[in-house]
Amino acid sequence: MARVLLRWALFAPLKSSSSLPFVQLPRTLHPPAAPTLATSSFAAAASPNYLHLPDDDLMAQCDLDTFKSSGPGGQHRNKRESAVRLCHRPTGIVAQAAEERSQHKNRAMALTRLRTLLALKVRKAIDLEGYTPPPELLQILPAKSTIRGKDVGPQIGPNNPKFALGMQALLDLIYALEGSVSGTAKVLGLSTGALSRLLLSDDSLRMAVNELRTSKGMKPLK
Amino acid sequence: MNWIWTVEMTLRFPLAIRSPLPPALASSLHRRLPILSSPSAAALSSSPPASPPLFLRPLVFSASRSDFLDFRRWAESLALAAGPRLTCDGGPDAGLLGRELSWLLEDASASSDSSVDEVRLRVELEELYRLWRERIEKRRPFQYIVGCEHWRDLILVVKEGVLIPRPETEVVVDLVAEVQGFEKGLWADLGTGSGAIAVGIGRMLKEGGRVLATDLSPVALEVARVNVERYELKDKIELRQGSWFEPLQDVEGELMGLVSNPPYIPSTNLSGLQAEVGQHEPKLALDGGDDGMDHLLHLCEGSSLALKSGGFFAFETNGDKQSKFIADLMTTRWRKVFHNVKMVSDFAGIKRFVTGFRR
Repeated sequence: MARVLLRWALFAPLKSSSSLPFVQLPRTLHPPAAPTLATSSFAAAASPNYLHLPDDDLMAQCDLDTFKSSGPGGQHRNKRESAVRLCHRPTGIVAQAAEERSQHKNRAMALTRLRTLLALKVRKAIDLEGYTPPPELLQILPAKSTIRGKDVGPQIGPNNPKFALGMQALLDLIYALEGSVSGTAKVLGLSTGALSRLLLSDDSLRMAVNELRTSKGMKPLK
Repeated sequence: MNWIWTVEMTLRFPLAIRSPLPPALASSLHRRLPILSSPSAAALSSSPPASPPLFLRPLVFSASRSDFLDFRRWAESLALAAGPRLTCDGGPDAGLLGRELSWLLEDASASSDSSVDEVRLRVELEELYRLWRERIEKRRPFQYIVGCEHWRDLILVVKEGVLIPRPETEVVVDLVAEVQGFEKGLWADLGTGSGAIAVGIGRMLKEGGRVLATDLSPVALEVARVNVERYELKDKIELRQGSWFEPLQDVEGELMGLVSNPPYIPSTNLSGLQAEVGQHEPKLALDGGDDGMDHLLHLCEGSSLALKSGGFFAFETNGDKQSKFIADLMTTRWRKVFHNVKMVSDFAGIKRFVTGFRR
């Protein structure tokens, strides 16, 4: 019986942050040290899927706590910290944004990055027996997938905000299948080549998959 | 004459222009004809020559891509070399200067395919050299150089003589949005400066809602007017000149809310400010008197008369000490006038705002 129960695994920090600038992971994120780790059935039941939260609720789970030590601020400073750093309390994931010209917009940008990071780093266990891919995963699959019904609508790409949800579900599946691209492709009704192309279409997704494959002694996708 | 708005109009309705070009635009189009340089621009009391913000100027110049890249490299090296010198009074570090440079180029040029050998510009390349040198060597604030500041989701026009709106102050608009029924109320923004808070509130108002924005400085009001017009809020925001409550005597006791970011820096601290602020921004908008609270105390006292019963106020302060002082005063000596007085922190964890209600 291929029942794979993964723990809420948080994998090691991305080495290259080229696609996700300003992202850092605190040391406490290494799985052995994370106090929030629990068996998945518990964790899955107890924790909501953060990506389903509206912006305000997700923001309420975050500390905006970086720039505390830098002087009086306000009228004293020109262009003080329009940069924003969000620390998501439940997971410890940190997302920053500095390139926008207003703090307001940097907040929105940091929140978008946080969603991507949550998708990349928070894993949910999947019971492979009787697994059906959720609609958000079907939406990011190419049309040629044999399990993708006609009612799913056009394929959603990495630039669509909804891509993060699909990416999260896809990574959950790949983790459950221990990094096997061909195994995952089979479940999703795709050729191995077609799934590889999807995995390579987004830098952060590619890096997450390769991180996993490398940790399992498999060749990274190129 | 309102130079910026005129240029806006010409940009929006390029075919409808019948009158001669506004002086600022004419002079930039015909730089080599000194006879066209504007007498009215020179006559403006507000020191530097009036010229529209970069991002609103027409794309009438160009440079070869290699010259453009040369500028960028030169500007980067200037910033890198100046970095350590600038940070010692709290000025920008090399990282921030690098971002400012990108924003300058974003405002001054049209994005184009990197295979095209020509970059279209809103100022001549030599002017960009001059502007960046001013930024680094004279510490002229970046926002005055480009003539705007991005604040919340707004792009506000600013120029010398007007306080550059700060990121901390973005929160005041959120505080107002939490007040029940604010959309239909009469609000006042005292010492509006560029009009930032007033425009932020004005954009959220519904039928019946209005903001009265006041300032003592004619330059500030001129800039505020541009921002109000750019966001098409003329019917929601009324600008009035005068000191604090003076221009509001006709609405005494009628305000649903009152907000202000008054000058709050203690006079003794003015000399130690980073050069961008101390040497370039208006003292009028910074100097709060001996302990920095001259204007805040006046505002507190005045709001007891200006606000209607149940009316809301939010003031920005210098931080923890001032906020505590004001909040204490309002919950002791003035407890019969105000209630539900709170201190609200900014994103750096400093108690930046005092809010409360008129009984």
